[in-house]
Amino acid sequence: MWENRCQVAISGVGYSEITRSAEMPLAAHALQAVKGAVVDSGLEMSDIDGLATYPELPATGHAIVDGISVVSVNCMMTMLKLPNLSWHVQVDTVNIGGAVQQAINALLAGVCKYAVVWRAMHNPRGTYQNLPGAYAQGPAQFTAPYGFGGPGQGMAVAYARWLERHHQDREKMATLAVTQRRHANKNPRAYFYGTPLTREDYLSSRMIAYPFCLYDCDIPVQGAVAIVLTTAERARDLKPQPAYVAGYGQRLAFEVAGRIGSLSNYMEAGSSSARLTWERSGFTPNDVDVAQIYDGFSASVIYGLESYGFCGEGEALDFIQDGRIELDGELPLNTFGGSLSAGRIHGLWQIIEGALQVSGRAEERQVKDAKVSFVGASAPIVQGTTFLFVNEPY
Amino acid sequence: MAMSEAMSDWSAVTRPIPVPNALTQPFWDAAKQGVLALQRCQSCGHFQHPPYPTCVNCISIDLKFEPVAGKGTIYAYSIMYHAGDKRFAPAIPYASIIVELDAAKGALLAGNLLDAPYTEAKVGRRVEVVFQPLNDDITLPQFRLADAQ
Repeated sequence: MWENRCQVAISGVGYSEITRSAEMPLAAHALQAVKGAVVDSGLEMSDIDGLATYPELPATGHAIVDGISVVSVNCMMTMLKLPNLSWHVQVDTVNIGGAVQQAINALLAGVCKYAVVWRAMHNPRGTYQNLPGAYAQGPAQFTAPYGFGGPGQGMAVAYARWLERHHQDREKMATLAVTQRRHANKNPRAYFYGTPLTREDYLSSRMIAYPFCLYDCDIPVQGAVAIVLTTAERARDLKPQPAYVAGYGQRLAFEVAGRIGSLSNYMEAGSSSARLTWERSGFTPNDVDVAQIYDGFSASVIYGLESYGFCGEGEALDFIQDGRIELDGELPLNTFGGSLSAGRIHGLWQIIEGALQVSGRAEERQVKDAKVSFVGASAPIVQGTTFLFVNEPY
Repeated sequence: MAMSEAMSDWSAVTRPIPVPNALTQPFWDAAKQGVLALQRCQSCGHFQHPPYPTCVNCISIDLKFEPVAGKGTIYAYSIMYHAGDKRFAPAIPYASIIVELDAAKGALLAGNLLDAPYTEAKVGRRVEVVFQPLNDDITLPQFRLADAQ
């Protein structure tokens, strides 16, 4: 087990307004979320001395403008002018989970006391994937000329492979979409809070990129979320019940860019990250009371459940049936609604929900006696990071 | 659905033109001559695609492009119904496929399924390469159904 387990905790969490597309600059969303997390912790902004983020716009073909389409560490420093700032980082390879892990490391190293991590996601007005231009460069030269325009198609071919290989039926995925929507209907911050979804809605929805229909795709939104991380000792003096970081991991394998459709990588990448998390925390999948698994596309949950060890390879679509992922099931899953139903804010909302569940702060969607909480914060096939949160140190 | 209704209309699609780089130029040079050539490790014999600076199997840097036979099977596919890429809107619905070549296991090539209803795209179907010139410099390897063997 990891000697540093439970030495750092998530304290406060914060959210911005979440809108379908951009109505105010993204920096304003990020600021709302960061202020919210600081207030939730009962801290003053001047207490914050660490900053970390992953500032990326997954939509292609749009200008990257700091404060409009991304919110960098530089942008946040400029806005906040923190008097006691002593550490910051901006990560590149492992999405927002990597920024959270770096903040944990900085707190363990004692180079800051209260770190804020935010994820701000832009949804440009008009076309999300804006693919103009007559040329295809880099890895896209082998995919774009064939109409592989966005990430959805790359994920879709892998999912088609998975379905055929394991003789599975895409209609079983309705259970995931419908269950997550029910969870979102209990989460006032979720984009689809007031919108129910039935199995019939899923089965009759229009196809986007077979095997993905509309409800296999997450909902792009404009918004930001943020967390305050601090040492366990300091967290105990703050207002919220701390969510202790028992372990984390990151994927240790990566597919050659432009090589799409292969499934060999997701098991390798996902299991490498999960193995570190199980070994460091000392827990196993059987010990987990509640799980958040990144769902930019529904199939990412399938890859996550299998590669993290919750079920065997090829079994995930059966695993999610029969009430297992309901709030009172054996493994309540994506209890805030997930990216499919709460909104595309990448993995930090998954991390927030994982923390809230063990802090007993998940309100109407609280899982009873949630003590061990697992989070897969991004798709294992692309940029996996995993976390384990607990309600008390051990 | 009648077969003719399931044929994708590619006539109004303007495909983005691949831009070769130092690593990929030999692939496109060969395709222009109607030859499918893939990067092969001269140390362990592993074929790989897309091209990479090192052999992903043994880390050798001794890699050369070698001609390979263009017969293989559909490894994975998607049918596009949504014009995520507006340039391809006229062809919707269309099949984008991933092909595993008989002679180069491990190399996965993207393509479209040409000259057949998109409903024929299924994992395991036999396909063969055809070459589709885009302009004077760039010719795209593509795929059509082949006789089952």
